Amino acid sequence: MQTDTLTYDSLNERPLPKWLIDQKTGYTCIEPEKLVMKEDHSLKISFFVTGIFIILLVVLLTFFINRKHKNQVS
Amino acid sequence: MNRKYFALILLAGLISMACTTRVSEWILLNGLPSQYTLVYFHNKPLSESIKNQNQKLAERISTANINFRTVKRQEIAKPYYELYYKDRFFSKYMTNEELKGLTSSPLRKKIAAELMAGKLCVMLYLKTDNDDKDEKGLNALHNVIASSPFGNIITVVELSRNSKDEHHFASLLLNIEDDLVDIQEPMLFGVFGRFKALEPLLGKGISEENINLMLDYFTAECSCLIKDNLPGTDILFTDNWENPQTALVNKIIDDNPMLGY
Repeated sequence: MQTDTLTYDSLNERPLPKWLIDQKTGYTCIEPEKLVMKEDHSLKISFFVTGIFIILLVVLLTFFINRKHKNQVS
Repeated sequence: MNRKYFALILLAGLISMACTTRVSEWILLNGLPSQYTLVYFHNKPLSESIKNQNQKLAERISTANINFRTVKRQEIAKPYYELYYKDRFFSKYMTNEELKGLTSSPLRKKIAAELMAGKLCVMLYLKTDNDDKDEKGLNALHNVIASSPFGNIITVVELSRNSKDEHHFASLLLNIEDDLVDIQEPMLFGVFGRFKALEPLLGKGISEENINLMLDYFTAECSCLIKDNLPGTDILFTDNWENPQTALVNKIIDDNPMLGY
């Protein structure tokens, strides 16, 4: 700390060293990354998509099998 | 592998290592001490004996972080030496004899040996020789050392500001800030790296809270923020700073990672 231009009346008013001010204010600290838990919807979406896929597959297969069966009968 | 890629990977590795190194260790490995300048002012052409004398002096101090030069000034009455740190005036010496022990002393050697042995720092307590004043800060220091997980890797050294044997060292410390000489209070200097001394805690400021903040600074991860704003003054000293021991702080933090934050 340079005190050339600073004046103070008593020792109590003497400015603190810069490194100490920085430490007190946390200026030199690297904030650790804060981990925030986010709501995870991936499992629900996966079930939903799989369900729709199965239903669509069943519907389509039913439709094609029925059609084929009707053609064979006629 | 392409040389450029190899160099890039190596550089990335070095940068990542630098960012996990502690302040005290990084400065010991990388922080070159700033230079002092010793100037011999004279008003007449130099005689052979003075030239020889200055030649010997320059050789004697050549291994320290100091440069020597002579300057002719018409207006001075008598030749003298002045010591500067960067552009700051430190001390004036009227004779060559007064410069004996300027760049080295037993206590400075001891402190350098501790730093080279991998210690976190040396806490140098500069006493006033007034027991009432000195006791308080010293107790706070010992309490912190006793309770700190880094206590075993911190060396405490006491020095009287009136010491005859270490008067050059005491003078260097009291010149770290330009008002310290006039303050008759005990002072606590954190010495680290290649003999860099932080601006001191003094008087009532030598509290357990502030000493712990000083230790936090030494054990902090060395960020670019710290590297760009390095505090402290390099003490004049002659020594070889090559190949220091591994920093002892690393093992303590590896064993207990929570201490690293």
